[in-house]
Amino acid sequence: MSYEKDIMEKMESGEGPSDRLDIPILKYLWDASPLSFGSKENYHEFFKKISVLSSFSDNEVRIFTKYLHRREFSSDEIIFRQGDSGYGFYFIFNGSVNIYASQKPNSEDIGDLVIRLEKRQYFGEMGLLEEFNRRSASVVAAENTVLLGIFKPDLDRMLELHPVIGAKFLRETALIMANRMGQLTRDIINLKKKVRELEQKI
Amino acid sequence: MMVALTLGFALLFPRLTLPFGFSYIIYLMLRPLTVKLTSGPMKQRGLFFGLLALGLFFLMFPFLATIYNTETDLMSLSQKLPAVQKILQDKFFLIKVKFFEKYGIRLNLDPVNYMVSKAEVYGTNLLATIPAYLSSIFEWLLLVPLFLYFFFRESSHFKQLMMTAIPNQIFEKAYVLSSHFNTKFSEYIIAKFIEATIVGTLITVSLLVIGFPYPFILGFIAGVTNILPYIGPIIGFLPAFFIALLSQDPDITMWGMIIVYGIANLIDMVLVFPLLVSKIVNLHPIIVVVSIIVGSQLGGIIGMIVIIPFIAFFKILFKEIYKDLSVQV
Repeated sequence: MSYEKDIMEKMESGEGPSDRLDIPILKYLWDASPLSFGSKENYHEFFKKISVLSSFSDNEVRIFTKYLHRREFSSDEIIFRQGDSGYGFYFIFNGSVNIYASQKPNSEDIGDLVIRLEKRQYFGEMGLLEEFNRRSASVVAAENTVLLGIFKPDLDRMLELHPVIGAKFLRETALIMANRMGQLTRDIINLKKKVRELEQKI
Repeated sequence: MMVALTLGFALLFPRLTLPFGFSYIIYLMLRPLTVKLTSGPMKQRGLFFGLLALGLFFLMFPFLATIYNTETDLMSLSQKLPAVQKILQDKFFLIKVKFFEKYGIRLNLDPVNYMVSKAEVYGTNLLATIPAYLSSIFEWLLLVPLFLYFFFRESSHFKQLMMTAIPNQIFEKAYVLSSHFNTKFSEYIIAKFIEATIVGTLITVSLLVIGFPYPFILGFIAGVTNILPYIGPIIGFLPAFFIALLSQDPDITMWGMIIVYGIANLIDMVLVFPLLVSKIVNLHPIIVVVSIIVGSQLGGIIGMIVIIPFIAFFKILFKEIYKDLSVQV
């Protein structure tokens, strides 16, 4: 439930606004104000436009952004390599990244370009969930890029301090993985079909 | 670079860094409790901090009572010092006589007077430094709650700020490992604190029951020295042993005191230590013993205390390195 809805409901039920100064509401309004130039405000606007967090209320987004780490990468800088231990999930706040996959993980060659991800897209969700995760691809900044990362210790802390937000975020992450699995299954079916066609031709 | 700067700062301003470190340890101890009380459907930050303040206020009374009792114990000890000196001199005189009878050599030593005069010098020096100690205590009383408040309020934000200084290549690993270390350190401190409290309380109550003198100060010493693994209980036992040895009072029984210390340390070794510390730190007992010896060689008493969380952390670190190597091979 958002603060706006909360206040509206209170007004409708005849409670009226409290005489006391409500600091959390003031803080929220300050953070959410389009005239505010604070970086948190930018995060707030950014996450409101990301489909993954669409079920989050304004206040939940505000709390969620407190757990994020801002990391800046210059053009062509490697964010992580295929085969590295993975602990974090990244959102692209600014810029874009290229994802490469190699037949030989941990070699100097980062492999072939698989996909380019732009602003508001995300990657690395497996690193957040798996106990011993290995990055399945290499990610390189395609230009000067700003990423917002959330890592395993942050998720643990969020589940302790804000269990509802933590559970919601986990559900959304599971949905991302389910979508990726669905896409993967469709790709495998297509590839198998192509292999069969090629076999018939030969 | 960061580590060198921090160490330099710590050495330059010990009056600031010592209460800062102490507050950090208290913060680590209280953090799990705060998480439990300020999260979930019952979360009430205001209520939590109100309860904490109220709890601290009421905790001050037993604390002050203990200080008062300890002070009376110390006063009575200092009053009894001439008597103790006399007993020791008498016993040493008997030894000298026996030595002369057996070997025909006259011992011209007077260790008792030498020790007493040394103790007097130390005592006078201690009295001279008391005003300085008191002023630093007041400074700590002001600084520790202030630091604690900001640790609770700003720690996660401060940690995020510190983390921005870490290079991108090692960020993920450094962040996860630092979190592991903090957790291990926090859990170890809580476990040791609970263990010391249990042992101290057991010994104080038992000494009160058997009517042994100075139960509060002896219980406190036993609790504090219990922080030291293995040799701590022996150091904690020595003051009570000497009191029983030198006492002329027939009510004071050496055996009763030995049984009290024995049972308290047995409970600690059999129940408290394995259940709390070993489980939390998750290290093999042999590794614990070896690391304590190494810790004492590297950093003396402080080394013995802090080595365990460091070893637990290095275990995690080596696991991570092994994990990396096993993939690369």
